[in-house]
Amino acid sequence: MKRIFSSLADGKGFDIALIVFPLAFLFVMAGLPLIYNVVMSFQEVDMFSLGTFARPFVGFKNYVTLFSQPETWPILKNTAIFVVASIAGQFIAGFALALFFWTNFPGASWLRGLFLVSWVMPGLVVGAIWNWILSGDFGVLNYLLTALGIIDGNIFWRSDPNFSLWAVIIANIWLGTSFNMILLSVGLSAIPKDLFEAAELDGANAFQRFWTITLPMMRSTIGAIISLGLIFTLQQFDLFAAITSGGPNNSSNVTQYWAWDLSFRQYDFAQGATISVVMIVFVMMASIVYVRSTRHEVRG
Amino acid sequence: MSNQTELQIALTGVNKHYGAYHALKNIDLRIAKGSFVALVGPSGCGKSTLLRSMAGLETITSGDLVIAGERMNAVPPRKRDLAMVFQSYALYPHMTVEENLTYSLRIRGVKKAEAKKAAEEVAATTGLSGLMGRYPRELSGGQRQRVAMSRAIIRHPKAFLFDEPLSNLDAALRVHMRKEIRALHDRLGATSVYVTHDQIEAMTMADHVVVMRQGVIEQQGAPLDLYDRPVNRFVAGFIGSPAMNFVPAVAADDGRSIILPFGEGQHLPVNRPVPRGRSLIAGLRPEHLVIDPTGAGPIRLDVATVESTGSNSYIATASKPDIVLVTNGRSPVSVGSRISIGIAPEHVHLFDAGTEARIAVEG
Repeated sequence: MKRIFSSLADGKGFDIALIVFPLAFLFVMAGLPLIYNVVMSFQEVDMFSLGTFARPFVGFKNYVTLFSQPETWPILKNTAIFVVASIAGQFIAGFALALFFWTNFPGASWLRGLFLVSWVMPGLVVGAIWNWILSGDFGVLNYLLTALGIIDGNIFWRSDPNFSLWAVIIANIWLGTSFNMILLSVGLSAIPKDLFEAAELDGANAFQRFWTITLPMMRSTIGAIISLGLIFTLQQFDLFAAITSGGPNNSSNVTQYWAWDLSFRQYDFAQGATISVVMIVFVMMASIVYVRSTRHEVRG
Repeated sequence: MSNQTELQIALTGVNKHYGAYHALKNIDLRIAKGSFVALVGPSGCGKSTLLRSMAGLETITSGDLVIAGERMNAVPPRKRDLAMVFQSYALYPHMTVEENLTYSLRIRGVKKAEAKKAAEEVAATTGLSGLMGRYPRELSGGQRQRVAMSRAIIRHPKAFLFDEPLSNLDAALRVHMRKEIRALHDRLGATSVYVTHDQIEAMTMADHVVVMRQGVIEQQGAPLDLYDRPVNRFVAGFIGSPAMNFVPAVAADDGRSIILPFGEGQHLPVNRPVPRGRSLIAGLRPEHLVIDPTGAGPIRLDVATVESTGSNSYIATASKPDIVLVTNGRSPVSVGSRISIGIAPEHVHLFDAGTEARIAVEG
């Protein structure tokens, strides 16, 4: 006991303790479930063998089965569309807002903080709000589009297979925009002001300054935010549960929702684990990009 | 400055307000083509604001700014054709030295090969040839400074604006770059405006020194004019190193000398008539004070400290206010000894105790 106290006092071993605790936490709470999930994807799992580890190994059978199912490729395609459209929408809207608030008009920082409200809200609440907005009969989005003359008849966003995925994408863009905006605002304010002044004296107009100074100086921020966006988008579950439940007929189903559906509604745990492992591969790639881009900071 | 010389930058009645704060007050300044003008003053005096107003990075509230015959008040910085060297250098961190140099040319649509050639020419004169592929973060402070200068030179601008460009360099490099910048100015026949808080930089580099305080130009003129005939106590104290000694004094009854507050019989003869009884401030430059070995000097004080640099000795007296004087070489006196100090009458500066304005020889 005395040794522990003295080691705290003189700092010896304290640094190791600081690392051991989070590492142990990470291993128990994230590492083990991850390994367990990967192992399960190579096993035959049913309701009866769920309580034991001693389950028959079946090799790649689960993977073969997964990719032979007719809904797999459409769902993977949906996931790709969801990820790309969501990130693009969030990033463009977020960057536009960040640039807007960057002009620093009176009340800008206050208003920018207010935008974060959308990001703090639980996904299920956001989903409920968007259910009203997207409603086919009385939704305000249909009303707006009709009033603007863009559409003639009502779009049934949530039940029309052509629009159901986009209904979730629209809600997800709204949800993630403010997070993008905040991170991009931080990146913008980290660029030294005198670079813009130098460029201005060097003859660059606002557009040229954006292309030659702002964007390249934001490279690491942009890399980080896009990989974070990929991770968050692949995690997005609540909105699917609240808005379309993956339907109709899997037209808005994505891998993360499908994994849950397979495991906990159809009790096909092995298939659920298998699709999760496929997702892990993608998230790992995003993580590598994220780590590399934050390491590659460009600062004078 | 004579009327024949061509004006490059002219400011007439320029004011700058930040809300209630009056940063520049009625600035009148004429900058002749080919001249090197230094704006000097303590921090917060408005010298940087004045420079940034010329560049267009600040808009002036009232008055006229004319550059090369054109009124520029509302013209954006990129159309003023001025180049600026920033205190932080403001090099583009994501560009190589060559890309930094050619940035302004590329913006203007100059062909790549042509821009590269121009960059190589400039780099050859500023000693950057071997560093063209490096990024700013891979350069030393002095090299960054050269890149900042080269980036300005490559454009052949109407004028160079320097905003304390040497303040981030170490002392030895600063002295060296001082000469280099001035040599460059002469070789290019450029017009330069140079902001500094260091009066030595201003005095050694400029043809025309502008001393500012609290948004006002206190005095402007040739460096030695400012040294010889400062218009008030502020300029007198600001120009010259070590700084001028200021001693409260009263004009003696004879009208040809002043009485110093150091005790009985310390009368200092001056070369101009002063009305008797008038309260004055006497300005005595350390380098004009001489120790009189015969003991016949008009000021007699005890030595408090002696600081020697080898080439010079700085001797401070134990008096209120203390007097600093400079002698060449080793100090002839030691701490605690009584010395007798003299000064030529024409070297005694006199200021009014109330207004702190100079009392001229004729006055």
